Amino acid sequence: MVKIKIYSTPFCGYCKMAKDFFDQNGFQYEEVDVSVDEEAAKSMIARTNQMGVPVIEIGDEVIVGFNRSEIEELLAKAGSKSKA
Amino acid sequence: MYELVIIGGGPAGVSAGIYAARKKIKVILVADSFGGQSTVSGNIHNWIGTKVIPGWELAKNLEEHLRSQEGIEILEDKVSEISKKNGEFLLKTISGKEITAKTILVCAGGKHRHLNVPGEDKFIGKGVAFCATCDAPLFKGKDVAVIGSGNAGLEAVIDLSAYASKIYLLECDNEVKGDPATYDEVLKNSKTEVIFNAKIKEILGDNFVTGLKYEDKKSGEEKELAVSGVFVEIGMTPNSEIVRDLVNLNERREIIVDYSTGKTSFPGIWAAGDITDSHYKQNTIAAGDAARAVLDIYSHLREGK
Repeated sequence: MVKIKIYSTPFCGYCKMAKDFFDQNGFQYEEVDVSVDEEAAKSMIARTNQMGVPVIEIGDEVIVGFNRSEIEELLAKAGSKSKA
Repeated sequence: MYELVIIGGGPAGVSAGIYAARKKIKVILVADSFGGQSTVSGNIHNWIGTKVIPGWELAKNLEEHLRSQEGIEILEDKVSEISKKNGEFLLKTISGKEITAKTILVCAGGKHRHLNVPGEDKFIGKGVAFCATCDAPLFKGKDVAVIGSGNAGLEAVIDLSAYASKIYLLECDNEVKGDPATYDEVLKNSKTEVIFNAKIKEILGDNFVTGLKYEDKKSGEEKELAVSGVFVEIGMTPNSEIVRDLVNLNERREIIVDYSTGKTSFPGIWAAGDITDSHYKQNTIAAGDAARAVLDIYSHLREGK
């Protein structure tokens, strides 16, 4: 299964919604709380060149913010990649 | 053909969906997200019947309540065009779907109003932020500014006070706009400095924000603050573009409604919630406005009123 990582903060509504989305659809993910993990915060900012959360990594792709259709698209893409 | 199309999935849209479903109106709700603007709020203390609820949880509850209704159709999409032909409305969505309906209830809400100053768009996500609840932890140990002293601005200061080392609260007027109870909480924190009569001129930076420039409206003097974050909380602007050629809008582009029914100037179109010219934008008011509008739509559909 494709590797999913969410950079989040504790009270971020869209982070919560993103996690709910993965839970409901049976996807496992790693969560990084950037409010405590400062190194992860730095690398997230460096990689995306911005400071907003959530940042969601799906395989090698990265999405800033929670956008259901964009996530579904990347998951489908990752799914077809792993089958090929 | 539907009897009613509801546009929007915030408190107004969800309330309308529930009322319409219970009245057995043939209804479809079109929204690209659920919960409305409060989804990104921290704790909400004035959603009646619940002492405290985080914004995301209110959003989740609203969506669940809506989806639990029998007889409601939900389309996760966005309306891009509305026209009226032969006595019925034709709505097109951005994904290319077409819907025909007898009546429309517009609950499309609003979005964050921008300052419209140089640097703002360039630095969105690079220090310019619109969600303190979400992004405050990334400003740990930094100096930040919050623009606007309404409730959203005051709550942004409170969210940031756990992380930032210094918070400037800038208000363009000479008094605080939010609830006194929330302002009391802001004043408890010694990290916060309130600056009145501050007109924002520019957001400064290179790759990320490094400061902002404002005019002291009293002295006319231009001043700079060195900050890494600028949280813009100056109210909302209505999402009324889709109906601007149909219904009467006021100078703020809000839909003018008849407060006793929710009717707009265009027969067959109602509006409710933050998109209307109601002076007060609140979750509770939006939900109530929408309920009233659906009851009026029901009378119109069944009794021709």
